[in-house]
Amino acid sequence: MERSFAQEVEKLQLKKGELFHGEGILAVTKALLQSGVSYVGGYQGAPISHLIDVLGDARDLLDELGIYFENSASEAGAAAMLSASVNYPVRGAVTWKSTVGTNVASDALSNLSSAGVLGGALIILGEDYGEGSSIIQERTHSFAMKSQMWLLDPRPNLTSIVKSVEQGFELSEASNTPVMIQLRIRACHVHGSFVASDNRAPVFSTHNPLLKARFDPGVINLPPATYAQEKHKIDQRWPAAVKYIQDNQLNEHFPGDCEDVGIVAPGGLYNGLIGAMQQLGLADSFGKSRIPILALNVVYPLVPEELLAFCRGKRAVLMVEEGQPNHIEEALNAFLRKSDIATEVHGKGAFPMAGEYTGEVLLKGVSNFIDAVAPAGLQADTVHMRATDLVRVKADAAQQLGNPVPVRPPGFCVGCPERPVFSALKMTKKKFGDIHISADIGCHTFGALAPFQVGNTVLGYGLGLASSSGIGHLMDKRVISIMGDGGFWHGGLTTGVVNAVYNQHDSVLVIMKNGYTSATGTQVIPSSPSQPVKPVALDIETTLRGVGVKWVKTVPSYKVGQMLETLSDAMTTTTPGLKVIIADGECQLERQRRIKPQIARSLAAKERVVTTRFGIDSDVCTGDHSCIRISGCPSLTIKPNPSALRTDPVASVNNGCVGCGLCGENAHAAVLCPSFYKAEIIRNPSRFDRIKHRLRSKVIGWMAGQSRVAA
Amino acid sequence: MNPQTKSFSILIAALGGEGGGVLADWLVAAASSMEFPVQSTSVPGVAQRTGATNYYIELYPVPRSELAGATPVFALTPSPGRVDLVAATELMEAGRAVQSGFTHPERTTLVASTHREYAVAEKVIPGDGRYDGQGVMDVARTLSKKVHLFDMRQLALQHGTVINSVLFGAMLGTGELPLSRQACEQAIRDSGKAVKASLAGFNAGFEAVANPAAVAAPAVAEAAAEAAPTRKPTGPLADLIARYPESLHAILQAGVEQLVDYQDLGYAMTYMERVAQVHQAQIAGEKAGPDTTREAARYLALWMSYEDVIRVADLKSRAQRLQRVRTEVGAGPNDPMRVTEFLKPGLDELCSVLPRGIANMLRARLKDRAHQLHVGIHLRSDTVLGFAALVALRSLRGIRPRTWRFDREQQAIKRWLSSLQAALALDGALAHEIALAGNVVKGYGETNERGHRNLDRILAIAAEAGPGNAAAIAERVRAERLRALSEGETPSPVVSNTNPVIKPISFVPRRKSAARSD
Repeated sequence: MERSFAQEVEKLQLKKGELFHGEGILAVTKALLQSGVSYVGGYQGAPISHLIDVLGDARDLLDELGIYFENSASEAGAAAMLSASVNYPVRGAVTWKSTVGTNVASDALSNLSSAGVLGGALIILGEDYGEGSSIIQERTHSFAMKSQMWLLDPRPNLTSIVKSVEQGFELSEASNTPVMIQLRIRACHVHGSFVASDNRAPVFSTHNPLLKARFDPGVINLPPATYAQEKHKIDQRWPAAVKYIQDNQLNEHFPGDCEDVGIVAPGGLYNGLIGAMQQLGLADSFGKSRIPILALNVVYPLVPEELLAFCRGKRAVLMVEEGQPNHIEEALNAFLRKSDIATEVHGKGAFPMAGEYTGEVLLKGVSNFIDAVAPAGLQADTVHMRATDLVRVKADAAQQLGNPVPVRPPGFCVGCPERPVFSALKMTKKKFGDIHISADIGCHTFGALAPFQVGNTVLGYGLGLASSSGIGHLMDKRVISIMGDGGFWHGGLTTGVVNAVYNQHDSVLVIMKNGYTSATGTQVIPSSPSQPVKPVALDIETTLRGVGVKWVKTVPSYKVGQMLETLSDAMTTTTPGLKVIIADGECQLERQRRIKPQIARSLAAKERVVTTRFGIDSDVCTGDHSCIRISGCPSLTIKPNPSALRTDPVASVNNGCVGCGLCGENAHAAVLCPSFYKAEIIRNPSRFDRIKHRLRSKVIGWMAGQSRVAA
Repeated sequence: MNPQTKSFSILIAALGGEGGGVLADWLVAAASSMEFPVQSTSVPGVAQRTGATNYYIELYPVPRSELAGATPVFALTPSPGRVDLVAATELMEAGRAVQSGFTHPERTTLVASTHREYAVAEKVIPGDGRYDGQGVMDVARTLSKKVHLFDMRQLALQHGTVINSVLFGAMLGTGELPLSRQACEQAIRDSGKAVKASLAGFNAGFEAVANPAAVAAPAVAEAAAEAAPTRKPTGPLADLIARYPESLHAILQAGVEQLVDYQDLGYAMTYMERVAQVHQAQIAGEKAGPDTTREAARYLALWMSYEDVIRVADLKSRAQRLQRVRTEVGAGPNDPMRVTEFLKPGLDELCSVLPRGIANMLRARLKDRAHQLHVGIHLRSDTVLGFAALVALRSLRGIRPRTWRFDREQQAIKRWLSSLQAALALDGALAHEIALAGNVVKGYGETNERGHRNLDRILAIAAEAGPGNAAAIAERVRAERLRALSEGETPSPVVSNTNPVIKPISFVPRRKSAARSD
């Protein structure tokens, strides 16, 4: 991690009454410190990586308060950390990306929530659903329900978010239950402000340790305790939670003059809902709404009394519930039915069953509801006309544009060390015919996109190799699996490598060793070259040999030819068992962050610096673009053809080039055209450099030719 | 406070790494400094890399002090008809915002850069896969209240800054942004990074919008690059060219220049004779128009100047080229510079400089191992010896007409032309298609081989043409050409062991081989 978060760390030290300006996820971090938390853990992933990055840089502050922080090895590890709160009155918080992280953590979470907690246990979930999401589309809500953990979904403004973190701990302690707080991507990245209060040093901390271990057979997950625990959930913890939520009015009721209808929405969707209502003339800029709104900052458990009280006397309510299954809507219907209240519930139907509730979706949904129920005192048709006018433009645009503009999915950065590996893999496929390739999660998942289209399945983080174990035995050729070093330490070592060695799989594994979990924001992992605190970095190759892998070869990522040879080797060797190729090349983002300042300094200090760049002779290039089809580098692009005869654009290298060398490697490995050249410019040259240059340019100047023109 | 005052919404459409986040921070800082309630959101995550990403900002243009503690409720996602200002760092991203319905004819001002960062989908196409940028601009104009489009990358380069500062200035220049210039510039200063350059870019962007005259310049330059040149015939063959219809002059002139440069005046004469035959056939046939002759002339010139080792060495060893490299990589005339050429000559390249007889013999001998014969050369063309090697190859120009490759290309060209002339007597559409088919033979090594195979296929189809089926044949020729040109094959690797024998998979380790590890 070459980035510094010193600025953010300063914000974590704000005192009572001072105004905090910053990101949502940073506000959560501050709120943790204000709640007297004793320990924090987590596993990085957008959109909560920032919490981990910042706490990682805030060691001094944490030491001063006596808080233990660790960057857990996986979400499972982070969740298990919360066991500290089972027996002891200490507050703890962990964080990860949901739902994927919650999947990994669910074993520990189920056991934790069954045993129950004494100290407040908070799980901060970065909900990666909808636009910009990088994962499968599921709901965290179902996890909360199956394990009876409480789920907070606060309104997405910093004050509400901070408040619900603080109340989350209290709710957890009041009901002996771990509490999850769900923050959507945009809520994590929302930039706003709140009034800070002082940080609270925890009662029990690294400075003031617990003196006595507590044994309570009741919290051990063995029968008969487990049966008692389940009853305790239902008889004690649930009612306690409901009571706390009611007494402290965690859910908010916003009145409106159209009393005959109402809207129920999770806090997280409140702003979007108001936004849509503002556009339809149903709310003002300050959220004053014509229609009464019940904002559920706690979406599980629900408080039947509150919902019934809200619905009583209303003809219809609109349930705004993103994603599916629509648990809340179903529960609401059941409540109404049981207590014989005839209020109609409009939810899915007015809204689509699946997909993010963007501004457009909310506009349509609310207007559909108004159309259907025509609230007293509202001009339903004017609302309808507004809505249609607003969303009209999209259809017009589609119609006028004809074909949609080219998609632009995320891809490998300029000079990424993973790109050359996929060049080699694509050529390997060309050579051996279609090989089955089990891809993994990480930046390298982009290998499945154009121009490489390498990767047949993605089953989860670190599961690249594990997901090949079935198909590997059913294919005529050896299969290739891909795994990042992040995934390797996250679980790929055991689920993949150890499993393959133990079960004697005969397949090929490519480990992308770029030194960080790059896709999540280049956090350090056990094998990172630069370790912030722990002095020792673990070595992947040693680990592999340690678990009995015989065939291990490390290849520099950028050496396409060598990678191609090694892959062919691995595909054809008679050596049985797992064959591992470690593609070794540091994440270019991190590398640039490190060397750019260095180069700048050297240049300033008038030291000799050699900068490398690639280029293409546009008069030699014939516009076939095969170089692009095995690279896709953002800085290897196209430009109008300078020739008066040619019409197709020529390939060209733009200023973004960092001189990683892939173009040259590909030119050789794939026998591309001779248009590529590498230019190494010597800044602040030595005297010798200059003399040599002068002599050479002179001689070359004599030899240099001209374009021939007929006299 | 007046609840009717609406909050002001800004959508920034950018690509990862273009500083969209910094721009959002600047806007937030500027708004905060004016005491305006403000909120920004984004969805970075992995889109932070090279993908399309956007930043959404809402601010309430009334100082907190006048709000009596009331706080506006801001939306977190842009919504159709809600956005006041759409700012895009690139043309297609502007198009994406329009396509998503975020511009509204009554409310939205669009300010965007007209330059293109081509998407992979556009770049991988062998021919020209570029999306029609003009179309996007036209649609943007009809679906926005106001648009300001100009090449911001150009300005950013001029002022040695990143595009986001230029865009920031342009946004303020529209006069829509309810922020003071002073506040915006202060925000840049406070950010503390490359302040001077950023401010210069900011000012340039502001001026470009505030004073549209400046905007026209780069836009036109862009167009000029694309437009086909219209030139008067010059040089010894001028009057020869002048006899042809005006619409052919530019191509013929360019063709002659290309071939004089490639070989000599005589070769250019041959070119003109071939063109003459095509043209006469076109006139006589009365089926096709001059366009057909023009396209034939275009591809004939390109084909006749096929890229062999001699040509490549020639082009790479010219004074203009040495200069061009320096400008392209941004090296001063006195900066020492190492230049490495990546050449991987194989049998084809060798034969392209050998006499017919020897070449045929070699090819017959080595055809099975042709793929292994490539030798990768890192030629240091900045060294005297390396450059001399290029000069030596260049000097082989004289013997080119006696080489195997020359012979081969001329044969193919003749086949193509005779097929074309036959078609000109038969059917205009077919003739035009065959003329265009001259484009399929190009490139180096394998690509070129493929080109020849494809042309043979096309000429075979053309040969079936008769009075009855000409139209149908034309269609098939067209289809075949398009297939050939879109044939985006992955260049095949060259590693020592070709056609490897894949060993049977062994799941039970054999003691003996298990011991050895390769």
